[in-house]
Amino acid sequence: MMLKIALRNTLRQKRRTILTSLAMIVGFTLLSFSIGLSDGSYSFVINMFTRNRLGHIQVHHRGYLDKPSLYATINNYQAVGQTIQNVKEVETWTPRIYSVGLGSIGEKSTAIEVVGIDAVREIMATQFDKKIISGRSLSSIPAKESILGKGLAEILKADIDQEIMIVSQGADGSIANDIYTVVGVVDSGDPLRDRMSCYLHIKDAQEFFVLEGRIHEIAVIVSDLSKVSKVTERIKVKLSNSSLAIAPWQEFAKSFYQAMQVDQQGMWIALFIIILVVAVGVLNAVLMSVLERTREYGMLKAVGTKPRQIFWLVLYEVNIIALASVVIGTILALGFPLSTLINYLLAINGIAFPEISYGGMKFQTALYVEVNARSIYIPAITIVVSAMTVSLFPALKAALVTPAKAMRTH
Amino acid sequence: MTSQQVIVTEDLTKTYSANDVPVYALRGINLTIAAGEFTAIVGPSGSGKTTFLNIISGLDQPTEGKVWLSKELISNMNGRQLSDFRRDNIGFIFQAYNLIPVLTVGENIEYIMLLQGIPKIERHQRVVDILEVVGLAGYIDRKPPQLSGGQQQRVAIARAMVSQPTIILADEPTANLDSKTGSELLEMMYQLNKKTGMTFVFSTHDQAVMDRAQRLITLKDGLIDSDNMQE
Repeated sequence: MMLKIALRNTLRQKRRTILTSLAMIVGFTLLSFSIGLSDGSYSFVINMFTRNRLGHIQVHHRGYLDKPSLYATINNYQAVGQTIQNVKEVETWTPRIYSVGLGSIGEKSTAIEVVGIDAVREIMATQFDKKIISGRSLSSIPAKESILGKGLAEILKADIDQEIMIVSQGADGSIANDIYTVVGVVDSGDPLRDRMSCYLHIKDAQEFFVLEGRIHEIAVIVSDLSKVSKVTERIKVKLSNSSLAIAPWQEFAKSFYQAMQVDQQGMWIALFIIILVVAVGVLNAVLMSVLERTREYGMLKAVGTKPRQIFWLVLYEVNIIALASVVIGTILALGFPLSTLINYLLAINGIAFPEISYGGMKFQTALYVEVNARSIYIPAITIVVSAMTVSLFPALKAALVTPAKAMRTH
Repeated sequence: MTSQQVIVTEDLTKTYSANDVPVYALRGINLTIAAGEFTAIVGPSGSGKTTFLNIISGLDQPTEGKVWLSKELISNMNGRQLSDFRRDNIGFIFQAYNLIPVLTVGENIEYIMLLQGIPKIERHQRVVDILEVVGLAGYIDRKPPQLSGGQQQRVAIARAMVSQPTIILADEPTANLDSKTGSELLEMMYQLNKKTGMTFVFSTHDQAVMDRAQRLITLKDGLIDSDNMQE
């Protein structure tokens, strides 16, 4: 009976119910949109940072990340890579070699970081070819070619087809030195890295450093960013090699991950403000409704209704409106043609956004909306719980009316 | 207290505080109302009629004194006990009807029985029967706003009586009605009183109620000014 009264009470003051519901629907939509926008944009930035450069997961020789060393290598990397490739939701992988040296073109010399890459796999994994701003990519077979980072090319005043001489130390203790033709210049978006990076074909790099069949890193790309942790665990199980360390991007790019987390706190503050505005609106409506019906609650108590029954009567009313609003909000977020169109446009094109930077890295990006389960269930729970919370006081007020006094009110 | 006495008050006193000044609404009322009486409590505004009715119905607590209703000392009961006691023993008729506007006539009447835990079939039968008695058969699915004032008060009477309480307390039940409708309702309540033996206690200004009452108790300044049985 209380549920029946509550349901009919919601239709009693239709205008107020519609306004309360509208506040909740707008709140729901704003929350949903904010979360979607935040998730979409963060996914985009994280993808740029990981998918386009570092990889979602990295495999190294144990201890390499803490203390990079020429000798801390992954042996038989092709077999390791093939095992990784067979793990569910792994899209691709690519091997890398890292070491330092001295690079010279003509009379210009500077410290460089030699990065050995598999030209074909690197393109599949990180779209390396799209970052080349002049010249071309490395040949698929080793051909003593090199690609320089934009900053490094500027320091060495390098032109395409010029030769760069690299001097370093080989893994066998010998002096490594060789000459490579500059075939391209790359802008990775990381100016610090681009001031040092000199990319060689992985076979050339192995030969140069006397690391035959060995590499330092395998970068793994997964098909779904949200599955990185799961895939990491699967790879750990598959490899079960105690000499290898498998880390998701949250671990090997810890400072970036922490920066993202701090940034996301800002989103929660914005969400809190939206919730607060909705909650005040709901509180106002419920309080007005309770005050208007004081006489009725007095009568209900006079004839033997328990305070808790009246308490729930008020909460039922709020819940009915909140649940209806959430359903309407969800339909609007998912099914309404205009909303779908907006989401579609934002998901495809994003909102133009100025260049942003994380830890010195620049991202020419856009704001993208991602409609996911989180962007529906968080607003839904938030709206219902906040509406319930602010209704506790009016419900308590209704439950505790003194019948004789309440029935004297008009 | 004999088995015939349904309401007994002993030195009933009620004092309010208005701006730290004590206001004496009741100043020691000693009264006994027997089962089946049709009693009117009258008096000028501020004489203590409503306060008296509120206290003997357990809606308010006396400052001092005791109240027994159906042999139960209600002035010592806590809120929960009073709530259950009112539900099972007292029927209320209010001046402004106080029906639940979103419920139908049938549901309004059924409400208290639902609180009492009476099974659905019995509830429905009682609703049909009582609507017949109050002359509203066929109105079971109407909502209060669709009824006239007189019809709404009939529903309120039906609601008060359907749970078969010992006492019906009516606070100015005819005050919002025209004299003809008021007289009709009064006559109906009188007949129900005779037929069922339920005790009716009115608080009223209505001369027709005073004339019809079997017993007329007049309050003045919180005291019983007169207490007369009428022919």
